[in-house]
Amino acid sequence: MNADVKQVDSFRFVPMMTKKLMQAWYPKEPVQEIPWTPLAKPLEECRIALISSAGLATTGGLPFDQQGERDKPWWGDPGFRRIPRDTQQVRSYHLHINTRYAEEDLNSVLPLHRLAELEAEGAIGAAAETHYSFMGYLPDAGEFLERTVPQIIASLRDERVDIVLLVPV
Amino acid sequence: MGLAQREFEAAGFSTITLSPMADVTAAFGAPRVAAIEHPLSQTVGRPGDIEGQGAVLRATLEALQSIDQPGGMVHLPFSWHESRAEAIRNSHPVEPPPISAYIKRKPWLMAKLLRGELPKPG
Repeated sequence: MNADVKQVDSFRFVPMMTKKLMQAWYPKEPVQEIPWTPLAKPLEECRIALISSAGLATTGGLPFDQQGERDKPWWGDPGFRRIPRDTQQVRSYHLHINTRYAEEDLNSVLPLHRLAELEAEGAIGAAAETHYSFMGYLPDAGEFLERTVPQIIASLRDERVDIVLLVPV
Repeated sequence: MGLAQREFEAAGFSTITLSPMADVTAAFGAPRVAAIEHPLSQTVGRPGDIEGQGAVLRATLEALQSIDQPGGMVHLPFSWHESRAEAIRNSHPVEPPPISAYIKRKPWLMAKLLRGELPKPG
């Protein structure tokens, strides 16, 4: 192993109890079938969309259902919100993180403005018109995977997106 | 995030997750992962750190181009400016998550959760 290359500790900034729960929950056997879509063209020609799991909505936009989670702690709002590329400020409805960073500068969890800079430089083809956010706390992801993800996929296709960059919190 | 990422990849998009818990993302069979050692509330970088956020985004897109097989992971070279304890403290939500308060009231549920069981709704 090359000693110059940083080895990231996946749990360095994760509280001990969260780490234990995560380790109890994630699959122990390696997943056999992993889907694969090769990058078909240079980055300079690709349209890119960002997706954050910070439960973001535009200021004044429809909130995520926090009360539902307070009433039923095993439940998370399975919906999603669209974040247009020119959005300047967001609210974060995630109840498990410190939301002040995202609300102070949305780029700390959804780097919309940094992506627009890469577009202006010509380093990427384009930043998509629409980006997306959902609630990362979903103990039961069934409805999210069955209903929400297909809606996001349809929207990504409508906008002829090539690359999806996901940013969990 | 790994499960959602698989759906997007299967639908014909090239995907990568910039993950602050990369081993967890990868364990769900994520097609490409860029591992980053940043606290959970600031995955990309500090508010206002335009240079740092830009460097992380560029490195993630480079990782997307360099990973050449399903399940590949790149470890990004970035370091965080706070100690572990400070970063964890500063990432806490203002009020404890509902699940924490619930377990405090019903501590026996913790053992169940650590076995990977989800309590019945209600």
